[in-house]
Amino acid sequence: MSAATAHAVAAAHAGHHGDHHAPAVDNYKEQLRNNRLGLWLFFISETFLFGGLLAVRFFLWGDHRPELDQFIGLLVTSVLLLSSFTMNLAEKGMEHGDMKTFSRGLLATAVLGTIFLLGVLVFEWGLFPAIYQGHLTPWDNVYGAVVFAMTGMHALHVLSGIVFIFIVWRLGRQGHYTPQRHWGVEACAIYWHFVDLVWIFFYPALYLIGTPVH
Amino acid sequence: MNEKRAAAYRLSATVALVLAVLTIIEYVAGVYWPSPVVLMLLALFKAVAVLNYFMHVSRLWTAEEEH
Repeated sequence: MSAATAHAVAAAHAGHHGDHHAPAVDNYKEQLRNNRLGLWLFFISETFLFGGLLAVRFFLWGDHRPELDQFIGLLVTSVLLLSSFTMNLAEKGMEHGDMKTFSRGLLATAVLGTIFLLGVLVFEWGLFPAIYQGHLTPWDNVYGAVVFAMTGMHALHVLSGIVFIFIVWRLGRQGHYTPQRHWGVEACAIYWHFVDLVWIFFYPALYLIGTPVH
Repeated sequence: MNEKRAAAYRLSATVALVLAVLTIIEYVAGVYWPSPVVLMLLALFKAVAVLNYFMHVSRLWTAEEEH
């Protein structure tokens, strides 16, 4: 290799190392934009799923609904809304470097999510007759079938959200996230809020709209 | 920094409070006057609040800091 070539290679290396930080930041920002877009595209596909279930409810039930306890509906809805608040606190905590709020917010969200899940299993599905005697089954009639399909699909998402929360909580405690870079936390929070968003429409459709059928 | 953090937490609490109030209105409306249009409109208001303040949908089209 001639001296001139060696010098050119050395200069290129120097330039590469000198600019090393800036492209990495730009790449991260670009990656973040793509990640957000990907997550929202996933939500669009999920919207078709939950929107389909909602359409089925209105098509099959019309202006009727099964007799579900409306106050229990309000309670489980409030628990889920509260969990969205604690999740938002956790995300804000991470954004501002407040690890205590981040950690406690995530754990509170997981606990509230579990309470919601238990509420569904006990009061909507009647899986524990000793506590609450449910009157719906998935196979008896169109009311039970739709209630179980809607709440079952939603509960599956709540369950996966709780698993997601524990993964993010553990990674956060291991120091994987910083106030500047915490896509995992943001994704987990947005996913949880999406689960809440779905319930915002399911709640009136299941518990409030229509005349109760005995 | 602390002031910004406190403001962020306050905003979260305010949105949660608005959602709680709307949910109670929805419940009362559902029990006493279950109009599908009114109930779905209330749900839509709640959904917009969640989309905007909790899900940060606007981050999709605004350039901002890393996260």
